[in-house]
Amino acid sequence: MNDVLFNVGYGHFLVLAAVLFLIGMVGVLLRRNAMIILMSVELMLNAANMTLLTFSRMWGDVGALSAHTFALIVIGVAAAEAAVGLAIVVAVFRGRRSVDVDKLNALRH
Amino acid sequence: MKTFALLLALGMVLGVATPAIVHAQPVPAAQAAPSAKPQADLPSVAHPHDDVVESHGTGMALLFWIFAAACIGGALFVITRRNLIAAVMGMVGSFIGIAAIYMMLYAQFLAVLQMLVYAGAIMVLFVFVIMILNRPEDEPVAPTGRAGQVVGGIAIIYLVGRLAGILMNVVVPTSGAVGMGAPRALTLAPYGTTPAESVPWGTVKAVGMDLFGAGMFPFEAISILLLVAVVGAIAIARPLHPHDGTDADPGTHP
Repeated sequence: MNDVLFNVGYGHFLVLAAVLFLIGMVGVLLRRNAMIILMSVELMLNAANMTLLTFSRMWGDVGALSAHTFALIVIGVAAAEAAVGLAIVVAVFRGRRSVDVDKLNALRH
Repeated sequence: MKTFALLLALGMVLGVATPAIVHAQPVPAAQAAPSAKPQADLPSVAHPHDDVVESHGTGMALLFWIFAAACIGGALFVITRRNLIAAVMGMVGSFIGIAAIYMMLYAQFLAVLQMLVYAGAIMVLFVFVIMILNRPEDEPVAPTGRAGQVVGGIAIIYLVGRLAGILMNVVVPTSGAVGMGAPRALTLAPYGTTPAESVPWGTVKAVGMDLFGAGMFPFEAISILLLVAVVGAIAIARPLHPHDGTDADPGTHP
């Protein structure tokens, strides 16, 4: 127990990333507000980034691309996703006065 | 009630994950040091932590727990708050914690970038849109039937089991077979000291050399992606007809 508390290793970082990913997934699955869902997706991307960095630290960078470049690409994609996602939220809100994803069922019938 | 169930599930995760943490401890310095011999193809690369005194780093461990608590607490705040601004503030706290965790992984450049891009730019974008919409949420969690809850609970338990199984099999490398300066035991530096890294992992220089060397094509591709995203966001968000949106500026649509 003392070892777990005071000897922080790779496992701590991996478990932290897994817990963050889990929280993000719970947010995506349970919440109905589109904004919260977008934020949860950002959370999951961050958790994946943390896992990438931890494994890179652990094993070293193999091959051409380093984990840092990979993580930077993920950050760029997350920024693009946030911009487009928020634009969609604004467009949906303009038409329906609501961002509740459960009410967006026009394609169902 | 829902919050309680959520907390219970997370407690379960931590409870199952604790043996995984014990199992995945870094190799002691006595084992790690012999593998740091220069390899044939990488003659000058040394172990990054050769000159760090092996230490349990109690102060740094305390900081790790504080920042991990900030990450998880902020994330829980995001998915439980009904007030969107409160959720964004929790998100900012979570991102700051994640940046500190990156710093502990010696990924300094990415830590700074995390603060700038996420806690700064993206969260400002979220706050902007929330202020534009200005609608409080009516119901935070979708109501599900008993069957859905049972199936969801089983799925969560299965997922936690699989995660714990994977994490328990984390193998800390013991022989120098791969990569730049690998293997390396993660040693948090004693509080107040600066580890002198002989391998520049995570510094601005190392990241820049990689980004503008081997990562040149992805870098350019990301810039094109961002351009397309900006154009697409403007195209999606603006009203279809000049008099459609109430908040449209009439001056821009003559």
